[in-house]
Amino acid sequence: MACQGLQSGETLASLKKESDSLKKKLEEERGKLNDIELHQVAEKVEMLGALSIKTKRLLKGHGNKVLCMDWCKDKRRLVSSSQDGKVIVWDAFTLNKEHGVTLPCTWVMACAYAPSGCAVACGGLDNKCSVFPLSLDKNENLSAKKKAVAMHTNYVSGCTFTNSDMQLLTSSGDGTCALWDVESGQLLQSFHGHTADVLSLDLAPSETGNTFVSGGSDKKANVWDMRSGQNIQSFESHESDINCVKYYPSGDAFASASDDSTCRFYDLRADREVAVYQKDSVIFGASTVDFSLSGRLLFAGYNDYTINVWDVLKGTRVSVLFGHENRVSRVRVSPDGTALCSASWDNTLRIWA
Amino acid sequence: MSSKMQSSSSIAQARRTVQQLRIEASIERIKVSKASADLMRYCGEHAKNDPLLMGIPASENPFKDKKPCTVL
Repeated sequence: MACQGLQSGETLASLKKESDSLKKKLEEERGKLNDIELHQVAEKVEMLGALSIKTKRLLKGHGNKVLCMDWCKDKRRLVSSSQDGKVIVWDAFTLNKEHGVTLPCTWVMACAYAPSGCAVACGGLDNKCSVFPLSLDKNENLSAKKKAVAMHTNYVSGCTFTNSDMQLLTSSGDGTCALWDVESGQLLQSFHGHTADVLSLDLAPSETGNTFVSGGSDKKANVWDMRSGQNIQSFESHESDINCVKYYPSGDAFASASDDSTCRFYDLRADREVAVYQKDSVIFGASTVDFSLSGRLLFAGYNDYTINVWDVLKGTRVSVLFGHENRVSRVRVSPDGTALCSASWDNTLRIWA
Repeated sequence: MSSKMQSSSSIAQARRTVQQLRIEASIERIKVSKASADLMRYCGEHAKNDPLLMGIPASENPFKDKKPCTVL
C-alpha cells in the first residue's frame, strides 16, 4: 500500500465513521442468517449415553509443570514440554521415555511432532522455535543437532508443522503468527492483525485448504489465508483471553477455550458463534480444547484441575474427568481417536481411554 | 483543518481497519440452520468410528488393559 497522507475527502473521522458502519453492517448480515440455534436443531439427535473414560496411563518424569504435548502420527508416541526446559518423547503404550532434551530456556510453552515422526519442534521464553531431528541412536546428543527456525520478538506460544516437515507455523506473544521454511529458517509469511499476545493456533484439516485459526489475549479468534497472509474472518465474542483454538474435524468450524471460563463453537460458513459451553458451576478459566474423532465430543481442560467433556451439538456437559492435581494445560485426542492425552501443572501427563 | 494534524500512522491504521472490515463484510454466509444440519450430519456419519464416543472393546484398544481378571 503506497498511499501517503489523505485521499480527497478522507479524514480520520470519516474513516472511523466508515469502520463503525461496516461493523454494524457485519453484525446485521450475520444476524439475518441466525434463524435457529445449533442446540435447537440438535434436539432431534439422540442423547449420549454415559462415557466410560478413565485414566489408563500416568506419565511421570517431568520435574515441573507440563505446558504442552503433541501426538505423533503413529498414534503411540508423543512429545511433551515443561517449565523446567525439558522436552521428552514418550512411547505412550509402554511409558518408555525415548528421547529427552533440555533447552537452555525455561517455560517451553510449545512443542509439536513432525508429520514424518522424525523430528520435534519446541519453543517458549527463548522467543524461538527450534527443530530437533529424532535420532535412533539413544546416545546421540540431540541438543547438538538443534536448529533454530523461528525467531520472534517475544515468547513462542504455539507451533505446528504444516503438511510436511518442511514448514513450521508459530504463534507468539509479539502479537503475530509466522510461517517458516525449516531448512533455511527463512520467514515465508507473517500474519498481523491481533492487537495483543497470540496464545494459540491450529491448522485447518488438510482437505479444507490453506488456512489456520489463531486466538489471543485481545479476545479475538482470527482465520488466516496462509498464502496471502490475509485475515479472512474474525470472531470476537469471548470476554477474556482465548487460550486455545482447535478446528472441528470437518474444517467448517472451530472451538475456543478462554479465561472467561467458557468454550465456544464458531461455524466458518455461517460466520458466527453457534454454541457456548458453560455452566454456573464452571468458574475457572479453560486453557485447552480438542474434539473427539467424529466431532461430537469436546474435551476441555480447566484451571480447576478438571477436564469437562461437552456434547458439541446439544451444548450440555456429558462428563467430568478428575485426576490431575493442578491446572490442565493441554488436551489432545490421539490421531486414531482411541485416547485422550492431558498435560498438567502437576508435572504429569495422563492417557484416558 | 484538524485533518492536517493527524499522524499518518493513525490514518494508515484506520485505513487498514476499514479495508479489513470491507473484506469481512463481503464474504458469503450461509444460514445457521444449514450450517447446523451439516455439522450434525458430519457427527452422525463419523460417530461409529469414534472410539472415545462409542467405547471400543478392550481387546481392540491398545491403551486398555488386556490382562484377564481372576475372580477369587
